[in-house]
Amino acid sequence: MLGRRFRSRRCAAALAISIRLLFGGAASAADAGQLAPEFKAPALDGGKAISLAAYRGKVVYLDFWASWCPPCLTSLPLLEKLRKEFPSDQFQILAVNVDQDVEKARKFLERTQVGYPSATDPNGRIPESYGIETMPTSFLIDRSGVIRYVHHGFRKGDVAPLRERIKQLVSVRKK
Amino acid sequence: MLRSAASLLLLALPLLAASGCAAVKPWERDVLARPDMAWEPDSLEAKRNTHIHYSKEASLPGGGAGGGGCGCN
Repeated sequence: MLGRRFRSRRCAAALAISIRLLFGGAASAADAGQLAPEFKAPALDGGKAISLAAYRGKVVYLDFWASWCPPCLTSLPLLEKLRKEFPSDQFQILAVNVDQDVEKARKFLERTQVGYPSATDPNGRIPESYGIETMPTSFLIDRSGVIRYVHHGFRKGDVAPLRERIKQLVSVRKK
Repeated sequence: MLRSAASLLLLALPLLAASGCAAVKPWERDVLARPDMAWEPDSLEAKRNTHIHYSKEASLPGGGAGGGGCGCN
């Protein structure tokens, strides 16, 4: 009787471990207060490779977007306007496109031109390292490369509070 | 002996089936976001049908979760 109970417990434990191994292992999300994971990826327009390290010393708004994601498409022209409100040596927007079909993203950028660089990552290596949980997700990174704010989704009304956060970070000089 | 082998097989079968499952990451919803991947291709028609259903059944509909779409916002 006792042996049978022990065996069934062992089976349950084995089952639980197997299920954990099958479905577990998700990367933990990058959060405010953490150092933004570094990356280097090809530019969507075929230009020079884009790396986050090159923007150290500026406040960076890192935006993950895709052409199939309607709120991402709402955000692009609004972010472009926001970018122009700040001096380029203080604030930059850096985008990472995650379209598996890169051509769709290129076509979208031909129609909606933005002045900030967009990297392409069809294999999802960068969103994986940031532990993206929803599309779009953006990270506001300070001059030292530390994530100060994580923004999930995007609506038109998000621009005003975002502007205030950027203003606050831009006003802080690097030590 | 035969019984324990049968239980092991019972345990292994669902695991084998589950190994075909994979969680779709938010940035991998490219194909799922296509309009033809939606449960209901015509959203207006779907809303009308749901309205008729819960008016007649006096219950709330349970649609809207899972399926296609980009899962944005």
